[in-house]
Amino acid sequence: MWRLNAVRHKARGRNTAGEEFRLKRREQEREFRQARKDQQLVSKRLIEEDEEEDEGAMDTADSKLWKDQELVELLQGVQHGGEKRASNLRTLRKVLRSPEAQLILIGLENSMQVLVGLLSGSSAQCQLEAAHCVHQLSSSTCARVGAACLPATPYLITYLSGQNAKFTELCLYTLGNLCAGNMAVRDKVLAQGIIPALAVCIQRPNLAVVEAVGFIVAQLLQAKDASEKIIPDKASEALISQGAVSQCSSLLITLGGAVATGNTEEGIELLIWPLLRCVGNLLAGSALECCASQLTDSRLLAALCILAQTFLQPHPGLARESLWVLNNLTADSSVFSSAVLYLSLVPSLIQLLPFSKGINTMVLQVLANVAYQGTEYCVQLTHSGLLPALCATLKMADPAVVTLSLEVLCMLLASSSQAAEEFVKLGGSAALEAMRYNSQDELRLRASYLLEHHLPAYSQVRSICLYFRNRHKACCCVHSDFKTLFCVLTAYRAKVHLLRSAVNHSVSFFLSVIEVKTPAL
Amino acid sequence: MFRPDLVRFLTAAGAEEICVGSIPVLPVHPKPSELCSGIEESPSAFTFTPRRMRLDKDHDLFEDGDIHRHLYLRDSVAGMSELPQAPTVAEFRCHIAGCSQLFDTLESYEHHYDALHRRVCADCKRAFPSDHLLDIHIQEWHDSLFQLMAKKQNMYQCLVEGCDLKFKTSTERKDHLIKVHRYPSDFRFDKTKKNRRPPGGAPQRVEVSMEQGDEPGAGEPMEAEPAVQKRGDRLRPGYSYKVPASICFGQGSVRGFRGGRRRK
Repeated sequence: MWRLNAVRHKARGRNTAGEEFRLKRREQEREFRQARKDQQLVSKRLIEEDEEEDEGAMDTADSKLWKDQELVELLQGVQHGGEKRASNLRTLRKVLRSPEAQLILIGLENSMQVLVGLLSGSSAQCQLEAAHCVHQLSSSTCARVGAACLPATPYLITYLSGQNAKFTELCLYTLGNLCAGNMAVRDKVLAQGIIPALAVCIQRPNLAVVEAVGFIVAQLLQAKDASEKIIPDKASEALISQGAVSQCSSLLITLGGAVATGNTEEGIELLIWPLLRCVGNLLAGSALECCASQLTDSRLLAALCILAQTFLQPHPGLARESLWVLNNLTADSSVFSSAVLYLSLVPSLIQLLPFSKGINTMVLQVLANVAYQGTEYCVQLTHSGLLPALCATLKMADPAVVTLSLEVLCMLLASSSQAAEEFVKLGGSAALEAMRYNSQDELRLRASYLLEHHLPAYSQVRSICLYFRNRHKACCCVHSDFKTLFCVLTAYRAKVHLLRSAVNHSVSFFLSVIEVKTPAL
Repeated sequence: MFRPDLVRFLTAAGAEEICVGSIPVLPVHPKPSELCSGIEESPSAFTFTPRRMRLDKDHDLFEDGDIHRHLYLRDSVAGMSELPQAPTVAEFRCHIAGCSQLFDTLESYEHHYDALHRRVCADCKRAFPSDHLLDIHIQEWHDSLFQLMAKKQNMYQCLVEGCDLKFKTSTERKDHLIKVHRYPSDFRFDKTKKNRRPPGGAPQRVEVSMEQGDEPGAGEPMEAEPAVQKRGDRLRPGYSYKVPASICFGQGSVRGFRGGRRRK
């Protein structure tokens, strides 16, 4: 996030509050989403020196005026040396902001040889300027332009071990840009020994350099065949054995604490996001026992809940991923399921249930994980007020939400009769009744099962009332049915609408025909 | 915004408190999933098992985070204060088969359910705004003994709750409603049943009146909305609804009692 300061400075130069900016950004987002679907989402980075800021925007207009001939002359000026060489190079760098100029330049005879020659030459200043020119070219989205830069790669890699942090950073981003989305280049730089060079760079104390290393490694890993060519076998185990889980979780805990106390900077989500993904996938990638020794700090659960709550508004995707990690922690784990209950995290999770796009489904998964552990867990979940929330989620539009709600409900109802009573008092059985006639099997079968097996008193009363109401059988067995009805009524205090109508009318009416005395209802 | 004890726990707790080992682990048996599992005749419909999810880098769950990162890479990140992405609130759906209406809030869903599905006659599927009216309807339209009884005594109840008068005929009752309770003569919930067969026969399929069309197809509950607001005002009910013939509403399940009529 060292870069973030530079970015903000730049952003202020443009009109960020303007509608135009917002529209442009929305358009960009749309493009990114489509590109990601096509697995074509690749981003290059262009670094520009701060002192160029003010002139930057203006010069692009100027460079459009450069014609082929003028570029040739500029290149000749660069080639011929002398005192003006460096300033010519600087001009060239500015000219190369224009995509048209880039194309022209690579088409000129010897142009790239000249640049690479200067890059590898003895003048430090010219090296730097030449590197900037190559960097400009590397950020182009046109494949031909990138390809033209290939002769520079061995030098760029060599310079990674140099002392000048800014220069190293420039080389790293250039190499990263060239690798982006281009597997041929990537294979080439791998063969040219980029990995050992990166291993040296990453140990530098300079944060900007480290971030740049991160950029280029990300580009290398983004290729489709990365898992075969770059990532070693059993990478997860290796990472875990080196304490990745414990490092990442303790960072998440620290960040969670910072977020909870409001001590955060803008852009902190850029750090939280990858940490969540590391922990989430490391937990899923191997047996939990391997990670167990690194998961000794229960604050991780609290941190994940706080992150989900905090980022729900600005970045719901982050909230969702936080809940995903919580799922991976609690699945099949009595320890973490108990911890969720012990730390009273259930009410905070319940507050997330009204939100869709994967948030409520993930919360329900977590709660289901906890309920799955045993009846004692279900009892505590019920005490935490889960039943009223389920009565609402049962009525939601998303069938996945409803199915999960039914699953959790089944476990809660199966564990205690109080849960069943409370559920009926809340009017939940009506929702299940409605679901019996739903077109979707998953919902219909589960709802029917719950009504028949876990809410039998309710359905028994119902069937008896319907029996009386329909009165197809005017029969003498009414007396024993009546007794059953009264027993059920007194034992089960649920308010059922049918009771009043069926009983009041049908029974008293019916009995008046056969002249049986009825106790007062 | 956050529970203070949770914040304190995250930032200032002692070493023993934060140790996972210090948390008592609840006993894991019996598992409710075992109690949920079906008896031999009918295997359980419930299939949930906990599972850890490993997500590939291209997974949909990661889309938003990736987009955000690429906006940052391309120097397009505005501050968090700009362009917030609000989380989406879940919608509610009426689960009565054939209805499928969507609602933004739980209240609007409950309102819809109360108006159209809660008090529904099992036989003819008409919806009623109150228990009292539903009861009277069932008694007068679907009770085969009612006609018999009506010959001996006054059986037609006044529709107004709290007025306990009963009348010999529905006409008398209607007169009473108009004269005493000042009801309109075309009160929607005071229709007479048209008999095709002589009374005393088996209960027949009731012919539905014009306002309450009984066409197959999806319900159109939009017309119900005005009435919903006026539910308290019985003098102007003003709604109709269409319900597919094949639909059997929740509270009035008659599947066990009337075989062959239901198509599923």
